[in-house]
Amino acid sequence: MPRTFTRREWLAASAGTALLTGCGQERPIVPSIVSIVRAPAYDQRLYETVRRMLEEHRLEVRGRNVVLKPNLVEFEPESSINTHPLLVHAAFEAFRGMGAASVRIAEGPGHRRNALDLADAAGYFHTVPRFEDVFVDLNLDDVTRVHLARQFSSLGPLHLANTALGADLLVSMPKMKTHHWMGATLSMKNLFGVVPGGIYGWPKNVLHWAGIQECIADLHAVFPRQFAIVDGIVGMEGNGPIQGTPKPVGVLVAGHDPAAVDATGCRIMRIEPLKIEYLRLASGGESHILERNIRQIGESLRAVATPFELIPEFQWLRMEDS
Amino acid sequence: MTIGMLADKQNRDGGWPYVRGSSWIEPTAYAVLALLAAGETERARRGLRWILAIERPDGGWPPRAGIDQSTWVTALVALVPPEELGASAHARAIAWLLGTAGRESTLTFRLREWLLGNAGLSEQEPPGWPWVPDTAAWVGPTSLAVLALEKEYRRRPLPAIGERIDSGRRFLLSRVCQEGGWNYGSVRVLGYACRAYPETTGMALTALRGVRSPATDRGLAVAQRFLGECRSADALNWLRLGLRAHGQLPVGYCHPLEVAERTLSDTSLGLLVAEAEKGRDFLLA
Repeated sequence: MPRTFTRREWLAASAGTALLTGCGQERPIVPSIVSIVRAPAYDQRLYETVRRMLEEHRLEVRGRNVVLKPNLVEFEPESSINTHPLLVHAAFEAFRGMGAASVRIAEGPGHRRNALDLADAAGYFHTVPRFEDVFVDLNLDDVTRVHLARQFSSLGPLHLANTALGADLLVSMPKMKTHHWMGATLSMKNLFGVVPGGIYGWPKNVLHWAGIQECIADLHAVFPRQFAIVDGIVGMEGNGPIQGTPKPVGVLVAGHDPAAVDATGCRIMRIEPLKIEYLRLASGGESHILERNIRQIGESLRAVATPFELIPEFQWLRMEDS
Repeated sequence: MTIGMLADKQNRDGGWPYVRGSSWIEPTAYAVLALLAAGETERARRGLRWILAIERPDGGWPPRAGIDQSTWVTALVALVPPEELGASAHARAIAWLLGTAGRESTLTFRLREWLLGNAGLSEQEPPGWPWVPDTAAWVGPTSLAVLALEKEYRRRPLPAIGERIDSGRRFLLSRVCQEGGWNYGSVRVLGYACRAYPETTGMALTALRGVRSPATDRGLAVAQRFLGECRSADALNWLRLGLRAHGQLPVGYCHPLEVAERTLSDTSLGLLVAEAEKGRDFLLA
């Protein structure tokens, strides 16, 4: 999706790069725009909030095929485990309103085989009219064998779901959660759902053997046309991504660059993004996810940041000034 | 859905999709079994021709055409009676299952773990089955492999088959959740107990038919609870099979009418379960 930058942004980015590298010989880092928007509750106000947020990012989706990829994990509607259906429907309506030719909702859960039952239990059938007509189970989708563009993991060519591969814009819509293997799970980890369980099983264990962090970075590189909307209205802290505790934050985090969005999500959780291995890999080092190389719009980080509880194994991820 | 409606969903190539579109082995194998149980042999044989056409050179089956790897679905193909599938193809499916185990059971992996100081060479979990080769064993594929081998063992009681059935069952008994029952196969993650799932609890109990132990008793109690709460057709099918395998399906149990069948696998398995409850068990007998 094309996006324009002001001269001031370019100058700021160039100066930041010069400071970072100490020589000014490398290409300037184009700052990624990431918005933090307050959204205090899952209610009807979300529709207007999401519409305005997407307008700010000047997404051009007229005539394009948009695929929304929420995070559906478990049959626990009372918990904060799954992306809330009202947020997904708000994005669905906003993209339709922006002229998208088609908007679909697609997910391939990692543990539970019955994706539609899971979506039903999570409230999607109740919230999204004719949900079955717009939903694609990525675990059972047609597939294409893909040679990974970048290769951090030991994965060979991988079969991926055609609905995700064919999207003009793939919108990753995760929950803001801690994760008991990686520290944090946000928009990039959410792409594990495009790896079809119908081919690789439940769980998608090939990804674990090939290196979880590395596979996240590999998958990120396969999809250049992404947008991310993180559901941080109520996140999950502690022993996430399944057995953690609800954590009300009251924000949405969004942007074109999933690594920058996830780094911002980590900072909101007071987790140091430079210590998250997949973020370092995907951003080609760390410069791209440095706070000074992200152009923050909307609320300030300081205004919304709230420390997420971490299990003992991940206390070392805590931002030092927390 | 009736057997006639299931037959109408057959693709031109002879296979069945999960919902619509391309044929996959899993819904096709269940559909073939359901049609055979109902005496609809012509449609079933068209399905079998498609299944046989995509057999891989190693004697296993991929999940669908165009995938160059044999996987867990080989167990589903092996559930089809040899007289219908063809004796040689069936024997190759059984051989593939006997030659497949979770990566953690391989000597290479155990040697590596020993060299890294993570485990002793003699410490080995009973081998189960993976979803795809070269990955770990899990509850779902292990349960299905045990069912296929058990069916074969009744025809050919070979020690090699009996040993793998036994090891597969011991694998399942080693993966019981703290609360009882089974999930995909992780009992604990970083010291935290993982919860049981209805569908995998039903699958494991089905594979543990005839096994009495405190673990199966706890699993049966969990399955009874799930049977009352769960609204997933897939899960309810497996719970019914699992409870029935232990003579614990409540007398007069009625499948809830409001439960939606989401895939043709749900439909076929539901038809097979209904037949089994009438005394014609084409899935397991």
